[in-house]
Amino acid sequence: MYLKALCACVLLTASVLADEGAFQRLSAQANAARDANNVPQAIALYRQALALNPRWDQGWWYLGTLLYDSDQYTDGRDALRHLLELQPNAGPAWGLLGLCEFETGENDKALADVERGLAASSELQPGMEAVLRFHEALLLTRAGQFDRAIQTYAMLIRRGSRSPELVSAVGLAALRRPMLPKEIPPGQTDLFLSAGKASIFTMSGDLEHAQQALNDLAARFPDASGVHYLRGTFLLVADTAQAVDEFKEELRVNPSNSAAGAMLAWVLLRAGELQTALPYAEKAATLAPDYAIAQFVYGRLLVETGSVERGIERLRAAETIDATFLETHLSLATAYSRIGRTEEARREREISLELSRKEASSLAQR
Amino acid sequence: MRNGSVRLRKSCRSLVVAVLFQGVLFGAVSSSRSLTCGACHTAQARSQPETSMAHALLLPGANSVLAAHPKLTFQHGSYSYTVETRNGQSTYSISDGARTISAPIQWAFGTGAQTWVFERDGRFYESYVSFYPLANGLDITIGDQGMEPTTLEQAFGRELTNTETTACFGCHATGAVSDYRVHFDSLKPGVTCEHCHTGAATHLEAISHGKLESVPPKLKALSAEQISNFCGQCHRSFEEVLRNHWLGQMNVRFQPYRLANSKCFNGADSRISCVACHDPHKEVVTDGASYDPKCLACHGTTSASSTSGHLQPVSNLHRVGKPCPVATSGCVNCHMPKVKLPGGHQEFTDHYIRVVHPGDSYPD
Repeated sequence: MYLKALCACVLLTASVLADEGAFQRLSAQANAARDANNVPQAIALYRQALALNPRWDQGWWYLGTLLYDSDQYTDGRDALRHLLELQPNAGPAWGLLGLCEFETGENDKALADVERGLAASSELQPGMEAVLRFHEALLLTRAGQFDRAIQTYAMLIRRGSRSPELVSAVGLAALRRPMLPKEIPPGQTDLFLSAGKASIFTMSGDLEHAQQALNDLAARFPDASGVHYLRGTFLLVADTAQAVDEFKEELRVNPSNSAAGAMLAWVLLRAGELQTALPYAEKAATLAPDYAIAQFVYGRLLVETGSVERGIERLRAAETIDATFLETHLSLATAYSRIGRTEEARREREISLELSRKEASSLAQR
Repeated sequence: MRNGSVRLRKSCRSLVVAVLFQGVLFGAVSSSRSLTCGACHTAQARSQPETSMAHALLLPGANSVLAAHPKLTFQHGSYSYTVETRNGQSTYSISDGARTISAPIQWAFGTGAQTWVFERDGRFYESYVSFYPLANGLDITIGDQGMEPTTLEQAFGRELTNTETTACFGCHATGAVSDYRVHFDSLKPGVTCEHCHTGAATHLEAISHGKLESVPPKLKALSAEQISNFCGQCHRSFEEVLRNHWLGQMNVRFQPYRLANSKCFNGADSRISCVACHDPHKEVVTDGASYDPKCLACHGTTSASSTSGHLQPVSNLHRVGKPCPVATSGCVNCHMPKVKLPGGHQEFTDHYIRVVHPGDSYPD
């Protein structure tokens, strides 16, 4: 009995040593194949090595990157998921996983994982970060978070990105279409390229060309949804009257454009035309319950027209959607002050001050 | 309550009838056209036209600042500026030695420091230099210090957008803006009754027919926070400053914003609002001591019965602040220090009321 156990132990140890030896040999061969750019062989060897030692985190990483590079996104995704079970804080792996998921069409997961990767941006190489940012913006657009997508595109453009695929992608976000560039219907490519070009001029600070491009866009596509809204937002800084006309025109073309409704209501509110603004704001807020700006504008209008408690509810909804949106906190300060909740008003003023400082600092860094 | 309201209405009606009757008798009000706000609101109508706000925009011939300084010159790099006034007409000129651009000064903004706006080829420009009383001369316009003009046209002035133009005239004139555009045919220079009391003209017309239903909204009914936003439409509210990220020492000019940062400002207590200390119908009082009673309304030694020294928030109207351990007069001298703007040509009272320690940096 004792002898049998001893034999088993010796055999097991020999087997382990043999496996260890085989793993060392295979992993070295896999690394060599990767260095020699022999991708299929490297993939096969990494798979064999990982079958022997599934806790080899570096192996999963290399396997994942090789599979992604050779367009095998489903397998790449699975390899990276193995790695992340072992190394849940590996930022770049989250990013690459998100890119695989983007290719497999798992858009919600892709966005979450790309953002998790970007949260560890200090670990990312600049090239990898730019790729992740671009995909983040694509996915934000697909998810209907156009304003955030535009901010991300603007950042890339300020850094000098000008790739052709960027132009139509920016056009989609600018015209507020929840699509990926590959989903653009045939025949509409020109619309999105033109909108993208105009927006890139704006983001680059070339306002003269931007204005010309937007004028051309509106002349060529007067009935395309989003065009007049885009032109209106551009004009808002310099010419409120024209901006108002453009928002109204947008609502004629597309009455359910909640962004145009919210912006029109905001401009009217600031001009003191509260009763005129109210129906636009209410409709926008109803159409877009997840759009912070629509909720905030309607909330502020309710406050200004005397329905303070209802206004606060809307403003709180806007805060839940986007807690960093300065206007919501400014309006909450006003609303609380209006009904004597002075400590809450003070707290909202402090939050507003802090957010404004952060925004100023972020603007200064650009 | 209702009876009181009826009584008030009746007495108002009698007053209007009396005023109209007086007009008929003495020729002061010969028709509705010449009926003015001053017919009823005598004290306000007498003092308001003498205020700086009433002269926030000056037209040619009415510019006392330039009349007192008939020739002003300034050199900035290779550009020479001259502002010359003859027979009430002022001309703004800039030269680089080879070329000169001149334009008549059409609109002068401000009675102390003064900046000019010109129209050229349908576009509006803000002068690149302004007059500053503390310097008794010209210097770069506030906000333009960062610009480095490279052409004579740029050095002449900064082109204003339509939004900026409407904002400038909207604050410095009355009846200038409608439908988001400046309308010079209806513009009255400076801040007059209708500027703040929207509907005053309609009210005047209705009153001339004995109708009292058109009373403009009562600004007195606004809370401290609402007044702050109301005045802040021109003097820059808390919201406006943060929205535009106007942080740093330059924002000392924006009194409603500064006030809103004060610990004692809570938006509901009427003892700490713009109009608690300033009567907009009168010129601003510059004697600091005159504001002591306003501060002592909360921080007075007798009313501050707190033994713990803490605020006693019984209610907004009965809040009691700590009495000052140092003095009972000259409060604003310490708690609202004067701040010079970068460039040094203008000084403003900081409305961020606080305990200021020597060496403190400027709080945003």
